[in-house]
Amino acid sequence: MRNVLKHVVSTMAVIAVITAVLMFTTRTGESQANAGTAGQARRTPDGKPDFSGVWQANTLANWDLLSHDARPIVAQRGAYPDVPVLAAPVVALGTIGWIPADVGVVDGDEIPYQPWAAARQKENFANWLDRDPEIRCYLPGVPRAMYLPYKFQIIQGTTKVMMAFEFRNADRTIHLDEVVPYPGDAFMGHSVGRWDGDTLVVTVSSFTSNTWFDRSGNFHSDALRVTERYTPLGRDAIQYEARIEDAKVFTRPWTIRLLLYRRLEPNARIVPFRCMEMAEETALGHLRREPLVRRWEGKTMTIDVTRKVPATEEELYQLYISGNPPDPQ
Amino acid sequence: MTRRRLVIVLTTVMVCGASALALLADQARPSTGATRSSTTFRTPWGEPDLQGIWNGETLTPLERPARWADKPVLSAEEAAAVEQWVTSSPGRDDRSRRGTERDVAGAYNDHWNPPRTHFSDRRTGLIVDPADGRIPPMTPAAQSRTREVREYLRALLDGTASGRPGATRSPRRNEPPPMYNIDRMNRADGPEDRATMERCFGAPMPIYERVMYRIVQSPGQVGIYVDFGQGQGFLRVIPVDGRPHLPARLRVLHGDSSGRWEGDTLVVSVSNFTPKSDFYGSRENLRLIERYTRVSEDRINYRVTVEDPTTWTRPWTFEVPWQQQPARANQVYESTCHEGNYGLLGMLANTRAAEARFAKRDGPDPATQDNASGGGTGEARTVGNFPR
Repeated sequence: MRNVLKHVVSTMAVIAVITAVLMFTTRTGESQANAGTAGQARRTPDGKPDFSGVWQANTLANWDLLSHDARPIVAQRGAYPDVPVLAAPVVALGTIGWIPADVGVVDGDEIPYQPWAAARQKENFANWLDRDPEIRCYLPGVPRAMYLPYKFQIIQGTTKVMMAFEFRNADRTIHLDEVVPYPGDAFMGHSVGRWDGDTLVVTVSSFTSNTWFDRSGNFHSDALRVTERYTPLGRDAIQYEARIEDAKVFTRPWTIRLLLYRRLEPNARIVPFRCMEMAEETALGHLRREPLVRRWEGKTMTIDVTRKVPATEEELYQLYISGNPPDPQ
Repeated sequence: MTRRRLVIVLTTVMVCGASALALLADQARPSTGATRSSTTFRTPWGEPDLQGIWNGETLTPLERPARWADKPVLSAEEAAAVEQWVTSSPGRDDRSRRGTERDVAGAYNDHWNPPRTHFSDRRTGLIVDPADGRIPPMTPAAQSRTREVREYLRALLDGTASGRPGATRSPRRNEPPPMYNIDRMNRADGPEDRATMERCFGAPMPIYERVMYRIVQSPGQVGIYVDFGQGQGFLRVIPVDGRPHLPARLRVLHGDSSGRWEGDTLVVSVSNFTPKSDFYGSRENLRLIERYTRVSEDRINYRVTVEDPTTWTRPWTFEVPWQQQPARANQVYESTCHEGNYGLLGMLANTRAAEARFAKRDGPDPATQDNASGGGTGEARTVGNFPR
């Protein structure tokens, strides 16, 4: 009998060790009920993927949706006609003032502009500092909010998916239940979502014409419709896809594709980047009674700044360049 | 039975028994820490459900007015009489004289600040502690600094029609404010001279009026979108896992929130405020303990204890009942005060233009004009001035 007992005890000890190891490796995250393992999506109690958590894209898409060589953020002609240097507003930044080369995120690496819109995009690009709504801390719109270089948090509730962005403390709410159409337009659009298997499909509409897709002047009109697809890639990544349709600007729909990565630090969190105040000197400094930023002296250069007030009232009060086509003459 | 078979059988029995015990223990200990109770408002993962659109509008003011000092709760008849009196006159939003400045201000208020018209409960003040329904006295240091600010703002009105007699131009016109400026100041040298509301980051915390809330929850997180009037809304993310606050050197305009469940109540500690936000004189040392309890299908009780030993002599607590709003109507909107801030641009541009005209002897000195007061005259009808 004593031998039997010894065998029982040692077998149980082995089982206990194995169980403990299994439990330790599968318990992660704040909710043991649906943590899943690294290979599986987290799930809500009704079996849908649970995208709750802190996420961040890791791409240069916000600089340029398309493939691009390294270039200055503001360029001027250098010693060679095809090798630019940093232009005056940013020349002190050195390397930090350059965008590295990278492959783009657009299927086919081309944005199919109508001719008038292709010209507008070039103007936007050339006048980026004056025109990019991100510089003024305006709401970034969709899909740009998803690939800004800042964290965001998804709170997936029972009938809504709320997204909280660090940038501008922006937010969007995806309605999984039925709501009335949005009574007007919104920078972040109006988002309605449904499940297609494990993919959350979101239709976004009711946009203004005042957001851009990136810092390279890629834009849209108020006819924009975005169809997003969020598909889990295991527990800690999301395959994100955004199909862009805008009949006033493009010749056909086109699609952006990138990954969103879960921020895995313990107690990962967002810290709001409330940039309204930070943008004031840039956006309104020309209207101070006494200019604030006048002169900067570095080791090898001096920069003198003159602010000027636009001559026409229309230009003075122009907060955005609309992405709508110009009125027919 | 062979010895080996006995070993296997006994082991299996004991392992199964242990697993069953472990499973039972796990069931009894809910994974999110919320105690089970008899209420029916639960999320599918077992936390109290606060989700929905909520509105805290009520005629009850924050502080109990002197007129009702001995009456914390009105009778049904008294409440009806007050509601009828308040709504029978537009008061300061009188738009009977079209085309006047008052009409324009009234139009603005019509859209952005519609008057409250009813009591959600019949209390005469939202403050429940202290018992007199008033904000406790300020500390001497707080009285001194708020007095300094008041005197500075008043000094900038000297030399205008609203100022004290004797000055032709404010002697403090070129002085910086004594603290980070929150208020409407009679000067527009730059954006910092304007009120934080005019710069579109003036929504205070805690917030209790002119506001709708959208609450969305996921396990361990509560998101509250605060749709504050004029598009100055903001989003709060509240982790409900008892984590520590941000490091003290990180200051957040609407504070840093950390929550936990106490029974059916969400208790949220809010700290790390900045000196650029002001709540009745309290700035970066403000600390809040909020309590959210879903008391019925269509009601949340929002209760908040406000504390700042550098501002008030003791903490104080107020309570606001929130009413659920219909989900389909979805009356929560994007906050685009900043994106549409022609007002701030205009204030600066117009003051520069007025200065240019004055330099050419073509107009008055803007320093002698009152651009801080006004925007609608006449007294609003409130619970406080209901006639005896």
